[in-house]
Amino acid sequence: MKQSLLKLLAVLFAFALIAAACGDDDDDASEDTGSEETDEGESSDGDMAEGDVDFGGAEVTITGSERDDPSVAAINDALNEHFEPLGLTVTFAGDADWEANINTQVQGGNPPDISLFPQPGKLADFARAGDIVPLTDEVVAAIDEYWAPGLSSVVNVDGEQYGVPVKSDLKGIVFYKPARFEADGYEVPTTYDDFVALVDEMAAAGGSKPLCVGIESGTATGWMFTDWVEDMMLRLHGGDVYDQWISNEVKFDDPRVIEAMQAVKDLWTEENVFAAGGTISATNFGAPVAEALAADDCYMVRHSNFFAGLFPEGTVFADGSEDAIDVFYFPDINGDGPVLSAGNFATAFNDRPETMAVLEYMATADYAQSRQAKQSAELDGNLSGFLSAAKGQDPSVYQPLEQQFLDILSSADFVRFDGGDLMPADVGSGSFWSEGTALTNGDITAEEAGANIQATWPE
Amino acid sequence: MSSTSSLSPGIASDAPEAALGRTGRWYAFIRSIPTWIVWLIVIVWSIPSLGLFVNSWRTRDAQTSTGWWAVNVDELTFDNYDQIFSARNSIWDSLANSFAIALPATIIPIAFAAFAAYGFAWIDFKGRKGLFIATVSLLAIPLQVALIPLLQLYVGGAKWTLPLLDKTITLVPDFDLAGETTAVWLTHTGFAMPFAIFLLHNYISSLPKDLFEAARIDGADHFTIFWRLVLPLSVPVLAAFGIFQFLWTWNDYLIANTMVGSNPDAHPTTILIANLAGDFGRNEHILPAAAFVQAFIPLVAFFALQRFFVRGMLAGSVKG
Amino acid sequence: MTSLGHRHYGVGVPKFFWSHIWGEVLETKQDGGTAVETAATPQPNSWFATQSLKARVLLIVGAVTTLAFMIFSAKIRSTIVTVVVAVAVCAGIWIGANLLFDQSRERWQRFQSLVFAVLGAVVGIIIHGNGLTLGSEGGFFSWILGPLVGGLAFGALGYFLAGTEDAQQRLTVSVAGMAVVGLGIGLLLREQYQPGVDWVATIVYTLVFAGIGAGLRVLTNRPWQSGVYLGATLGWLLGFWAGADVGDGNVGTAILGAVVPAVLVGIHVGQTRNPDYAGRVQLDQTSRAWIFLGPGLLFIMVMLVIPAIRTAYLSLLDRDSESFVWFDNYKATFTDKASWDASNWTNMFTSWPFLIGVAVLVIAALIGFRQKELTGRAVELGNPTVVPLIAGFLFVCFGVFTAMRGTIINNLWWVVAVTFFSTAIGLAVAVLADGRGGEKIAKSIIFMPMALSLVGASIIWRFVYQTRDISKEQTGIANALWIGLGKLSTGSGIPTILGMVVLGIIVAVCASFMGQSLVRRAYGRAAVPGIALIFFGWIFIRYTQIIGGGIGGFKTNANGETVGETIVFVQESPYNNFWLMVILIWIQVGFSMVILSAAIKAVPTELIEAAQIDGATDSQVFWRITLPQIAPTIVVVVTTLIVLVMKVFDIVKVVTNGQFGTQVLANDMFQQAFNNLNIGRGAALAMLIFLSVLPVMVFNIRRMQEEV
Repeated sequence: MKQSLLKLLAVLFAFALIAAACGDDDDDASEDTGSEETDEGESSDGDMAEGDVDFGGAEVTITGSERDDPSVAAINDALNEHFEPLGLTVTFAGDADWEANINTQVQGGNPPDISLFPQPGKLADFARAGDIVPLTDEVVAAIDEYWAPGLSSVVNVDGEQYGVPVKSDLKGIVFYKPARFEADGYEVPTTYDDFVALVDEMAAAGGSKPLCVGIESGTATGWMFTDWVEDMMLRLHGGDVYDQWISNEVKFDDPRVIEAMQAVKDLWTEENVFAAGGTISATNFGAPVAEALAADDCYMVRHSNFFAGLFPEGTVFADGSEDAIDVFYFPDINGDGPVLSAGNFATAFNDRPETMAVLEYMATADYAQSRQAKQSAELDGNLSGFLSAAKGQDPSVYQPLEQQFLDILSSADFVRFDGGDLMPADVGSGSFWSEGTALTNGDITAEEAGANIQATWPE
Repeated sequence: MSSTSSLSPGIASDAPEAALGRTGRWYAFIRSIPTWIVWLIVIVWSIPSLGLFVNSWRTRDAQTSTGWWAVNVDELTFDNYDQIFSARNSIWDSLANSFAIALPATIIPIAFAAFAAYGFAWIDFKGRKGLFIATVSLLAIPLQVALIPLLQLYVGGAKWTLPLLDKTITLVPDFDLAGETTAVWLTHTGFAMPFAIFLLHNYISSLPKDLFEAARIDGADHFTIFWRLVLPLSVPVLAAFGIFQFLWTWNDYLIANTMVGSNPDAHPTTILIANLAGDFGRNEHILPAAAFVQAFIPLVAFFALQRFFVRGMLAGSVKG
Repeated sequence: MTSLGHRHYGVGVPKFFWSHIWGEVLETKQDGGTAVETAATPQPNSWFATQSLKARVLLIVGAVTTLAFMIFSAKIRSTIVTVVVAVAVCAGIWIGANLLFDQSRERWQRFQSLVFAVLGAVVGIIIHGNGLTLGSEGGFFSWILGPLVGGLAFGALGYFLAGTEDAQQRLTVSVAGMAVVGLGIGLLLREQYQPGVDWVATIVYTLVFAGIGAGLRVLTNRPWQSGVYLGATLGWLLGFWAGADVGDGNVGTAILGAVVPAVLVGIHVGQTRNPDYAGRVQLDQTSRAWIFLGPGLLFIMVMLVIPAIRTAYLSLLDRDSESFVWFDNYKATFTDKASWDASNWTNMFTSWPFLIGVAVLVIAALIGFRQKELTGRAVELGNPTVVPLIAGFLFVCFGVFTAMRGTIINNLWWVVAVTFFSTAIGLAVAVLADGRGGEKIAKSIIFMPMALSLVGASIIWRFVYQTRDISKEQTGIANALWIGLGKLSTGSGIPTILGMVVLGIIVAVCASFMGQSLVRRAYGRAAVPGIALIFFGWIFIRYTQIIGGGIGGFKTNANGETVGETIVFVQESPYNNFWLMVILIWIQVGFSMVILSAAIKAVPTELIEAAQIDGATDSQVFWRITLPQIAPTIVVVVTTLIVLVMKVFDIVKVVTNGQFGTQVLANDMFQQAFNNLNIGRGAALAMLIFLSVLPVMVFNIRRMQEEV
């Protein structure tokens, strides 16, 4: 009898303890925010005198697909550092299922104030459906001041600007270890033919594999394949064909597209690729690939700038030391030097003054460098993986390698945006991914993949 | 499930062990095969969880380079758990949110479903059978279909525009519940209803009829019978459904993510953990620990109350 | 209340509840005995007083601490407040309604006055509480005054009507009374609410609603007149008041707006009669049904029925829900290659599962013929045909499912495999563990996955299925074992030989069992060891490289060396589907085991003892007695699993998101509706899921009801 009573009590206590822990924490949290508020209250007097805006405790919520801890922390901190003195609380929530949730929330009439769209194509759909609002003149002015037109015009829909570029990605760069190249007698290729020759040479040597590739990305598995295909489309057929491809004037079953997919498939042979996860499509595109390159399992990784943030702690970049990692430009074919970019665009779901104020700030170089500084601090000074092409940032917040990325981005005159992100979701974040994965696995041929993807293009 | 069953209906063990010697030993060996099979299944069943549990205490390097069965003492670390408990969005807050969702979502459906189950079981009215079948058939609806309409209801209420006239009548006012835990538990309450009615009805309708007749002869009305007789007698099934519903709501990701996904202050543990992993595979190593933290409460509740679970679930499915 | 309560069923609710819990908790620990009895026997005093002092102190401390901690957490506190208020209000209304209808049989006059009073109070709240009438700005007081006046007025009317049977008198009083009420409301209405009338709207609405009311009455075989009155009342209210420009009218229009509907209601009420006793019982019964069902049905209506109807409607519209495409969405689903691809059906005839299945079915047919000669029936529970029949069917299904691909095929595969294996393994454990040592521990461990979230389970299995490059050590146990087996099989050291010996012994044991049974002409008993023999024999042959070159994860590379080869479990189609199903099977076996185990324990002992006395073996007892006895329970488990599996979503979404040929209907629906915003297609898929589960559901319920 007593024993059983004790047993039940133990269960009760377990619940009580948990409740207590929650309770304590809750109280702490409220005390914390309380004290912060008073602190800010004192300092805000000064700010008020300068800024003369006070949002009187308003709140702005932002959602986005970035959910890595350092990114979420940096976005929140950068925004709140600026807005808290002005009486505005900004919350950024990373969402593992953003692609679906933003649709649900809009349909349900409950969107956040701002959302960060990685896909201009989706943003344009929302704009045409009237779900998002055009930016005010002040925000547009800020964009014009800080951003090159080439990078912001991609979210200009029917003459209205809908998105603020807040993050820039540079694709089509190859990570490698210069010291290893030197030691093994390889040279950085300058043409695509050289690149293929180099890969063959490395594969024949029988040591490390030439390439590390991974395209696994949870529910988004396959996007890495689309990146490669886009790079190939640009390099093989130039900008015009690329644009027609995105608008489906050049169909997916067009021989030119198939050629690009086949080119990727031809590189991804078992001899050429080290896949840390057994096969390419089972290998996560991020940390496992970076670790493999750092551990000399392969010579090269074609990736994007943010890849630099995924290396193990203590990795050094571009400083000439033995283990340092550097990048070279994924060589072009026709000598026109195309650059593939991507990025996030902050979009407003309402035109409340505080929403627009946040967007205006997010367009500035100030925000970009603040986030960059915080994000690399979160990672103890390692490369953050974040990049912003906003003009007028203090260069010292970026490390030499990141400055290299920025140079490529800002000096390029043949820039195209990630094609998959511009296509309708059925394709751009649907069949293009899944058929690409199937092609990678060798389940289907490039022709079949092209035909299958084309079949899902919505009329 | 009483422990009184000494009988062995299956290929069980009450063989005469009289015949000893070589054949006897051979016979005993054959007799023990079923036991070995059971324990083999038990081992296979526990290996996945065991592996995850071991890995949750190992360093990142150890997890990514060797299997959990190769564990050695140097690799053990508390860092994974530490990382979860010190995450930016506090796990304690999310536990509180999970409670704030799971408790009402468990209690309220029990009450409503008990009323309805009694109504279906013991009150005679026209179309009872049809209505019951219709109600329980709704179990077949995939709950995803209701997410958008419900979100619209929570955000904008329900309005009816009168034809011909330029007027709208508010049927349900706009409570602006999206982003609140209330929206989550209300949704769970609705979705749980068909199953709860089904389960409780099975049990309540199998209570002995004489009991009700005696009570009726005494002049008791439905309310008294329900309150004094049915409710006390139904405790096992109420508890069984309670556990079921608690586990379900505690473990739910989809509904919570739809309703409160954009408000980090209201995230329950499932969402917190889904986001913890990050999107670059950098934090995979804390997933095992996170999964165990998330499963702790349901496991405690479950093991503490599993006897009820069994008894209540059996209602109606087992005769005799 | 009556004298029922404590006299006959002397179980105060809390006491009963707790004693029940003690009974349960104790049962787990002790083998019956005194403690259970003391706890389970209702005590005359309160349960709490019967506990030992120490227990009482502990209990109080525990409760107080729990409460205290809960109060400290703001979030839990606010939730508790919300829930308590919500529950209290609902309970108040619900209990009040019950108490009210308790009066209806015996005290009709009181009942009717109270019902009228409540209606009046509601009208009072609506009109006065909203500040529509004069004298209602007094805050709290005005919330009391309106309902009070309304309640009294209506209550008096109800009281009078219940007291007289004279039709003429009833009509007069009712109409006059209601007219006075309407007049009062009209006179008291504030100036800014006096309506300017839109006659067209008023007349149209009144006529339309009167027609609807009459129609409804006629349809339900009741006189149409009262329908006209009630319909006209509603129509007038809507048309007159909603159509009006509020504030443009005068006292006259206000009176007109209030008196007309009031009089209409008055006519309706005046024409009714007081029900006789049978009618009152009927009323009690019907209204009580709605009181009990109401709260639950309300939730079901709002959360399930309306969304479901909306979904059915949307499934007929195009992707943006703008124009009707009728059944195009359904057609598209069935013609899409992704949901139904039979182009490779010829592969079926070369697939191993199919060939094995056909072979086993042939054996089943042979046995069936023999059985027919012997007993007159080819197939019957417990005869030797059953096992090969089921096994053959399963293999053939797998053959078909691996040759034809697509979402619908995948769903079928899930249904067949998960339902079969969950039930079969659950049954096996329930039977084999029954009455043996450690039964509880074994069952608890197998049951445990039920407590995990599907997302958590998917994480667990992702680690099991993990794959790494063959140059590295494997971290997933599945691949580690597979490659280990390969190494063992292709190696030549002592472990390899040991493995060979162990396998040999297993094969020999199976063979001897089968041989013994065959010699005794007990063909039924030979089935299980026979199938085991085929399985282990095949492994043995492959392992010892008698046929083929070894078994497990290995391959010969270009240089002729033997190296490991991994399986990427979640990606290698079509069997990756099965590896996903394993996750759900892992979770669901516990469910079927528990239910079947209880069913087995409920089989009457006399039956089994009688059979044993007749010399039946254990397996005969199982096939001939236990299985038929628990067959209804198996049907319940199977149907429950089918419903669950058709809606499977989380596992596929988390592990593959439908890639690698693992798409299922529920995930496809989610992707179409939520990711691609193809609302029409998503809705059509949802309807397909609903329609395919519906027959199973209805079958299940009907069967259940027949039993009760």
